[in-house]
Amino acid sequence: MIGFVLRRLAQLVPVVVMAALAVWALVYALPGDPAAVLGGVNASDQEIEAIRQRLGLDRPVWEQFATWLGHVVRGDMGTSITSGHSVTSLLATAIPATVQLAVLAMIVVVLVAVPLGTVVALAPRSWPGRLVKGYLSLSLATPPFWLGLLLILLFSVRWKLMPASSRYVAFFDDPAGALQNSLLPALALGVYSGGVLARFVASSLAEAMQSDYVRTARSKGASEVRVVVRHAARNSMLPSLTVGALQLGSLIGGAVVMEVLFNYPGVGKLMFTSVNGRDYASLQGSIMFITVVFLLLSLVVDLLYAVLDPRIRLR
Amino acid sequence: MSLRSAVPVLGGAPDPCDGPGSPAPLLSIEDLRVAFGGGDQAVAAVRGVSYEVYPGETLGVVGESGSGKSVTVMAALGLLTTATAATVTGRVLFEGQDLLAMSAPQRRRVLGRDIAMVFQDPVSALNPVQRIGDQIAEMIRLHEPGVSRGDARRRAVALLEMVGVPHPGVRARQYPHEFSGGMCQRAVIALAIANRPKVLIADEPTTAVDVSVQAQLLEVLRTAARETGAATVLISHDMGVVAEMADRVCVMYGGRVVETGPLARVFGHPRHPYTEGLLACIPRLGDPVARLTPIPGQPPTPYLLGKGCAFAPRCAHRSGREVCLGERPELVVVDGEGRGGVAAACHFLAEREVPGLRQAPPAAAASASASASAASAVVSSPAASAVSSSDSAVSSPAAGGEGREGGGALLEVRELSKEYPMRSGLLGRRTGAVRAVRGLSLVVRPGETVGLVGESGCGKSTTARLLMRLEEPTSGSVVFDGEEVTGASAGRLRELRRRMAMVFQDPKASLNPQLSVGANVAEPLRLAGGWSRPARRERVAELFDQVGLARHHLERRPSELSGGQRQRVAIARALALRPKLVIMDEPVSALDVSVQAQVLNLLADLKAELGLAYLFVSHDLSVVRHVSDRVAVMYLGRIVELAGRDDIFERPRHPYTQALLRSVPSAEVEVARRGRRAPLQGDPPSPLNPPEGCSFRSRCPLAEEACGREVPLLRVHDGLPGEVACHLAGAGGTGAAGGPAALSAGAGW
Repeated sequence: MIGFVLRRLAQLVPVVVMAALAVWALVYALPGDPAAVLGGVNASDQEIEAIRQRLGLDRPVWEQFATWLGHVVRGDMGTSITSGHSVTSLLATAIPATVQLAVLAMIVVVLVAVPLGTVVALAPRSWPGRLVKGYLSLSLATPPFWLGLLLILLFSVRWKLMPASSRYVAFFDDPAGALQNSLLPALALGVYSGGVLARFVASSLAEAMQSDYVRTARSKGASEVRVVVRHAARNSMLPSLTVGALQLGSLIGGAVVMEVLFNYPGVGKLMFTSVNGRDYASLQGSIMFITVVFLLLSLVVDLLYAVLDPRIRLR
Repeated sequence: MSLRSAVPVLGGAPDPCDGPGSPAPLLSIEDLRVAFGGGDQAVAAVRGVSYEVYPGETLGVVGESGSGKSVTVMAALGLLTTATAATVTGRVLFEGQDLLAMSAPQRRRVLGRDIAMVFQDPVSALNPVQRIGDQIAEMIRLHEPGVSRGDARRRAVALLEMVGVPHPGVRARQYPHEFSGGMCQRAVIALAIANRPKVLIADEPTTAVDVSVQAQLLEVLRTAARETGAATVLISHDMGVVAEMADRVCVMYGGRVVETGPLARVFGHPRHPYTEGLLACIPRLGDPVARLTPIPGQPPTPYLLGKGCAFAPRCAHRSGREVCLGERPELVVVDGEGRGGVAAACHFLAEREVPGLRQAPPAAAASASASASAASAVVSSPAASAVSSSDSAVSSPAAGGEGREGGGALLEVRELSKEYPMRSGLLGRRTGAVRAVRGLSLVVRPGETVGLVGESGCGKSTTARLLMRLEEPTSGSVVFDGEEVTGASAGRLRELRRRMAMVFQDPKASLNPQLSVGANVAEPLRLAGGWSRPARRERVAELFDQVGLARHHLERRPSELSGGQRQRVAIARALALRPKLVIMDEPVSALDVSVQAQVLNLLADLKAELGLAYLFVSHDLSVVRHVSDRVAVMYLGRIVELAGRDDIFERPRHPYTQALLRSVPSAEVEVARRGRRAPLQGDPPSPLNPPEGCSFRSRCPLAEEACGREVPLLRVHDGLPGEVACHLAGAGGTGAAGGPAALSAGAGW
């Protein structure tokens, strides 16, 4: 198991380097002097010259990449031109905020997807089943940002229960404050993603309920609850797990719209400001972070697969 | 075993008594009807089935696909999945209580405790993420909540030991994927008998396993039923399995019981034309015939059934009489009473009782298959052929040819090998190899049929693919029609493949579903080039005539045809470019027995007509005996015996061939009831790590120390016909005449 994790981590290295190459090339693909691009429109000649020195822009291309990568590995991703802070320090404040929001949203996703998916899988033709199916279609058709706006309108503007503009309050310092600030964006994100996941939960559980081993369990005289919980549930979890992990990844990396909407200081917001301000150093840092998150999540999914399914052996 | 051999062979029910005073049935199904879907679209899959099983007996339920035999028990036990939206009516009485009228909790107390099931596909019937022992322990604890977890596990281990799982303590902690198919089925049987049920229902319990493992499993089932005293319902399409296991049989067709009664009386003297046809159309290992007697047409699809007799469209006895279409015949008792009685559902039972009238006039009704029907009427009943089982005078003219030297070879295979490397680790280092085919040599002469038999995993299908170079051989050579196939350029290979064609097991998967069947057949012509559109059309029509398909089928999609028709299409496609050799990989395995006979006859006709040579790959020994001139027996990638058809089947010399032949269940009641023991134990070893020396020695009852030292070569021994790869063959150890009593194949073969 440990050997497997180490090997998989080692296999990630070339992937990360490839991703880094793409992120690095982002700047070089733009017209003009990369140093000028990184320095921004208002940079002085000295500032641009300093960047040029730091990145070794007078040396061959592959050396430039190696130099940049060397800086990144040491935690130096340059300076943000919009804030003047180092990209590393910007990420260091944005990442915890985003992770907290993503975890909260994921809890909402699971609370929505598992019960609703189970109802649809077990009783698709009953009235609760039809009702849930109707709701799921509706929720998939509802853009998350619209739901976010609605939540702000109701909870912040009309009832004044939550702030319209969310701050990041660490959950372990002040749980109530954290919930007050993060709950609305988490709901807006989680309700939509939960609807997506619920469909996968429903279809894989329904498939498991048609399987031969469920028939065997019924022929043993096991109750329906036992058949679902002990036999079908674990087998049906595998496909949902992959989808769930991808959603968590997109919650961490892609909550741009929601973070901007709620003015929540996470990675998504950072990306938004970077793009607006042509802050390429910050953008590079954010994209690198998201890449690594997705790669690590896929590793976690593989490990969970092995835990859930004895047929998958880690070698 | 002694229990079985003590059973009287002929003359009715085995156990206590017939007629009045016989015990009440343990489980009786009364007028069960199952319809899928609702309203106008409702499809009646089961149309009023009644049967019962008495304490201590085995009831065999036989029928082809679509006969409703499985649906009946699933519906009776409430195991039909909810998604099918089935309507079930009728009564299912267990010890006087109606299972269908019970509440769900009440029924759950009966299921698993009093009535237990063994399912068809054991690997998927077990929960893949639970340990085998825990799955058995759950069965125990569900019905005896007082048993501790540890005790239940210990009982599970004991049960696994009882059904013959080696190292049950270790095996109980393993998962289903770590078990072979045969071992999984043993575990499922252990699960079923965990609570000593009163009724054991086995649905096609041996269909998914090899013949040597099948023999073991039937023995386990017999032991399990004897140990627990359970009544058994055995559902099977295999007449041989039923003949070997059942006391009474129930023949189902089109969702109804068409004939029922004690085994020997039904199989010995079938009253219903369907039972008679079914028994006549199976190729028999012990009683080869020149030509099979197929039942014309296809097994019925439930939604096309009319109100009359479901068998009427295929019946050789009907002779166009209207009553068969208009009125459903009831199941009436024709002979005896109660358990010992025979009942059949046919309007014309009375005239069939008169011996003179048994040869019905040629059927004008089934016009398309008039010749086949006529043949069926002329050929004697199976009862008669069973009596004259020693009379194997009918043999194909080419059966004599032996030896590999004589005659020009059409296909010559030399030292063919195929290894699949196993890679592991970060860099994919080669850590071993699955040696699927190991130095195989074989000759097929023009116009000859060579059968290639063996159990799953022996490399027979790989061999077939290697010959066409659908896969690249690791080493060895294949010469076809004087030209090297191995090493031929892509262009030459295309050229060669026009002269050798292939027919695959599953026609549904091997035909392009997007194209009409006509276009499927025309495709090789199109690819070959030089065929104008009208020429192609003409050739396809000609091929359709040849394989017995109607021209109105041309525009149909493969999905609109039945399994047998699809296989005809696949054969037509193979023949399109007039090949000299057709390689067939299990061509009839996916077909119902009545349809299988049609296809086998077609293959025989085509061979005679076109002078084709066949390489016929199959696991079914009876089929191979029927079609082949010479037979090669494969075990773990090697040919262990190669000889003329009659030599192999009547005087087998390799211990594996002998054991394989004795594993085949026979539909001949006398043969089946001989108290057979499974001749081979265990599963074939893994081709990843085959035993050193002779691969068979790990299961061979004759193996000596010397067998491990050297690989036995396939060669002629003592001037006897055929070639055997066995160290002991020459010493008279396994000779036909002087074989040890334990292994002699027996005169029945």
